[in-house]
Amino acid sequence: MCCLATCCESNFRAGCWAFDMNEAFETALANAFDLQILFVMLLAAIYGLFVGAIPGLTATMAVALFVPFTFFLDTSTGLAAIVTLVACSIFAGDIPTTLVRIPGTPSSAAYTDDAYAMTRQGLHERSLGVSLVFSVVGGLLGSAVLIVAAPQLARVATQFSTFEYFWLFLLGLSCAAIVSRGSRLKGALALIIGLLFATIGMGEVHSQPRLTFGVAELITGINFIPAMIGLFGVSEVLRNVLVANDARLESQSNGQSSEQPSLRASLSGSIGRVFGGLPKRLWQGKVGVLRSSAIGSTVGMLPGAGADIAAWISYAASKRLSKEPDQYGTGSLEGIANATNANNSALAGAWIPALVLGIPGDSITAIVIGVLMMKRVTPGPEIFENPEQSVLVYGIYITFILANLLLIPLGFVAIQTGSLLVRVPRRVLMPVILLFCMVGAYAIERSSFDVWVMLGMGVLGFVLEEYEIPLGPVVLGIILGGRLEESFVRILTKAEPIPAFSERPIAYLLGALCLSLWLTPLALAIYKRASKTKRQPGPTNGSSG
Amino acid sequence: MTNPTEVSLTKSPKPIAIIVLVAGLVTQIAGCESKSEYPSRPITLVCPWSVGGGTDRVSRQLAVFLEEDLKVPVNVINATGGQGVTGHMRGLAARPDGYTLAMMTLELNMLHWRNLTDLTWEDCRPLMSVNEDAAALFVRADAPWQSLTELEADVRKSPGTLEASGTAKLGSWHLALAGWLISMDLDPEAILWIPHGGAAPSLQELMSGELEMVCCSLPEARSLFLQGEVRCLGVMSEQRVASETFADIPTFREQGYDWVLVGWRGIGIHPDTPDAICATLIDSLRRVVSGEITINGQSFPEFMEDQEFDHTWREAGEFGRFLQVNDAQFGEILGREEFQEVTSGSIGPMDYPYVLFAALGIALFALGIHRVRRGPTTDSGLVKDLTPDGIVNFLLVVGGVAAYLLLSDSLGFLITASVLLCLLFWRLGTKIGVSILLSIVIVPSVYVLFGNLLRVELPRGVLGF
Repeated sequence: MCCLATCCESNFRAGCWAFDMNEAFETALANAFDLQILFVMLLAAIYGLFVGAIPGLTATMAVALFVPFTFFLDTSTGLAAIVTLVACSIFAGDIPTTLVRIPGTPSSAAYTDDAYAMTRQGLHERSLGVSLVFSVVGGLLGSAVLIVAAPQLARVATQFSTFEYFWLFLLGLSCAAIVSRGSRLKGALALIIGLLFATIGMGEVHSQPRLTFGVAELITGINFIPAMIGLFGVSEVLRNVLVANDARLESQSNGQSSEQPSLRASLSGSIGRVFGGLPKRLWQGKVGVLRSSAIGSTVGMLPGAGADIAAWISYAASKRLSKEPDQYGTGSLEGIANATNANNSALAGAWIPALVLGIPGDSITAIVIGVLMMKRVTPGPEIFENPEQSVLVYGIYITFILANLLLIPLGFVAIQTGSLLVRVPRRVLMPVILLFCMVGAYAIERSSFDVWVMLGMGVLGFVLEEYEIPLGPVVLGIILGGRLEESFVRILTKAEPIPAFSERPIAYLLGALCLSLWLTPLALAIYKRASKTKRQPGPTNGSSG
Repeated sequence: MTNPTEVSLTKSPKPIAIIVLVAGLVTQIAGCESKSEYPSRPITLVCPWSVGGGTDRVSRQLAVFLEEDLKVPVNVINATGGQGVTGHMRGLAARPDGYTLAMMTLELNMLHWRNLTDLTWEDCRPLMSVNEDAAALFVRADAPWQSLTELEADVRKSPGTLEASGTAKLGSWHLALAGWLISMDLDPEAILWIPHGGAAPSLQELMSGELEMVCCSLPEARSLFLQGEVRCLGVMSEQRVASETFADIPTFREQGYDWVLVGWRGIGIHPDTPDAICATLIDSLRRVVSGEITINGQSFPEFMEDQEFDHTWREAGEFGRFLQVNDAQFGEILGREEFQEVTSGSIGPMDYPYVLFAALGIALFALGIHRVRRGPTTDSGLVKDLTPDGIVNFLLVVGGVAAYLLLSDSLGFLITASVLLCLLFWRLGTKIGVSILLSIVIVPSVYVLFGNLLRVELPRGVLGF
């Protein structure tokens, strides 16, 4: 009722303001193409690419470091810079993911194996080209959703309560376990390991710390960024130094560079390698693009969920519906495309509840709200209606689009620069990667303990991979485990732990989706085995490739 | 280390130039240190709460103004977790050299009463409190209660049905609400406390209809309040709030409840810090919080007002007396018998991990069966063709990182990391001269890159770099 009334009211007011709105849009457009703003955006883009490409430094950290500069900029320039910074750093996270197997951001963890497999085949430029273009498309579609439907969608987002979040987290985790390479059982095992790490320390719902074994630092729990750097990056270094003596390290790197054209390849050649065939790929994958962007925007606008869950769910959906599900995990461009598409769409989604209700969708928009309040702008429905402030909102829309377009040339340069890494011999590259892992793990909270966590996780990652247990679910388990348990305990603390269907239909829907994800393949397997044993008792296959 | 260096130097003249250059850079970095005047290098402000929250915002603003006044970078780091234990520990247990400050919050006076840490306010030297925000009680705009009296009547009629949140269980705002209930001789669980990570997720839950009320500070609920989505039943301050936005909100006292709970934020430092350094810091902080320092024509109090943060400040001695009184207040609430019962919730902290351990056992068992059925497989198992060299390399990486961690605090990042890197280059087959050269170029570059551009100061050793 109340919601409907506000909607009507806002439409009515929108009608009244129509003339002003056009004017506001024109002002915003003129503002955005101001040279100073464009220059600041360019600098922000370069800074974002740089920070995002260094493992351990997150987009959130880049924005937090940038906040003092917003004191000296006017509001729209400051916000334009933040939007650009974030879009660029999230894409740049794909560069170390692809080239050296260290996920730059948690949302890259969904397709780390695919992207690194491409590099091993010498196809890193194609893989990064796909990342870039699909990131841009995802970003643009996500912005479109923000522009068209922000106020209405924010209403939907507020309907999410603990019940819905519990099932959403479980859905994200299930996706990670089920779609990962290797058998489903091993995926589940990896997930449980991750969830167990997440229980260490003191969470929000318990008043006592646990599983700290007397180590004072563990009261904080395991920070997922050093864990992620260790599991993927350090384990790769360990495997490289272990399997090969000097000669082989040499030949590996030679083998790689011989697959590539000469160093002096022309610009058009490299453009071809990065962007070649992409328009066709985009057109063929248009359904996937729309699906991934829808998943990204929806999950992104829910405060408490975010780009990482969006990437996993999109990857899982992509694999389920793909014609070539076997390639997933061993270098599937389709998987990379859909996951990276979703995580960039999610970025714009997070602005929806932040702008409309002042509830941050993620830690980045939490900072943005702080910046807005400092500039005496209070987020709320009226900023869409008040002509003066709607200039600001239109400004944000325009910068979202500009930032994504800016990403194409700058991202290309970043890919070219980053690709030089692949030509560095491994005997030199591996120690440098280790150094960056150490510094990156330290940087997030300036804590030496985090570097110990990274080292431990590196050894664990190495061991798990030897037994073909996927690492992605471990990482997502650490990231979401705390939130899953918290929502679970919250539900049990409630006076009515089981809500009526009519009150929480979305929760029931998510729950059903989640259970079917686990039960359908199980039922299918039982059915298959039953029919198989009837015909011939043969050796059973591994569940999936 | 000197011998191999010399051998390699004789081979080509180029490395000499680079080594001289790097040596110059190092002495320059070290040179900054040798200045005896405080402050001569970046200061770190440890914030115990995460990026984007209220305490983080206050910390970052304060840091910018301190930087303007002290003329050295002031970097904020967020050491989160353990409901505030970690950050307070990191801030107050650092070297007493005046280069690490702690942003302290009211949790400092709560955590030790819950036996979560030995740290109390007496382990810090209070420098300056910068903010005091009272707790307030918010309900949805369509809620039936217009005043605290109406709410009290409902709670008395059916205790244990209404649900509230605002922070973790036994967190500051939980105590604020429970303390009010206790002051009315009600059971502290007469309003159920559903733990949430902070004010923002609690407000989201309030909007979704799953909570009846949220207890948090006024600025945290500002935008929803201004939009008319939530109503404030009362604020737990001594007097009404000065800010225009919240001036109409009655206090708990006005409504006949003798209950006051004020959150505070302030700067503290290790108690062994030399007096001269503390005096410098207090002078600088006073200039900032009194509005003497301006950036672009704006002062710190103005910034605080823009975000609706209160900016009451108390200087060293007065701050200390305030802390003592505040600590006693929390001791009284948390020491009560009713509260001891609250601490043991219906779901123990180990219940969920036990479920996971059981699941882990089942998964491992199932995998075992799977393996036995399939027979020995060729594709898994340890890496094929292990070489002794490889094993040494593996151990060197693991041991090297461990050695770095043990030594970098005393020797500094530059020395330890260079040695480690050089050793690894050499072991993996790079010539020793090139290895030294590479590590001596890469490590200082990383140091400068992180320290200057990204504001991540890597560990300095006793030598000052």
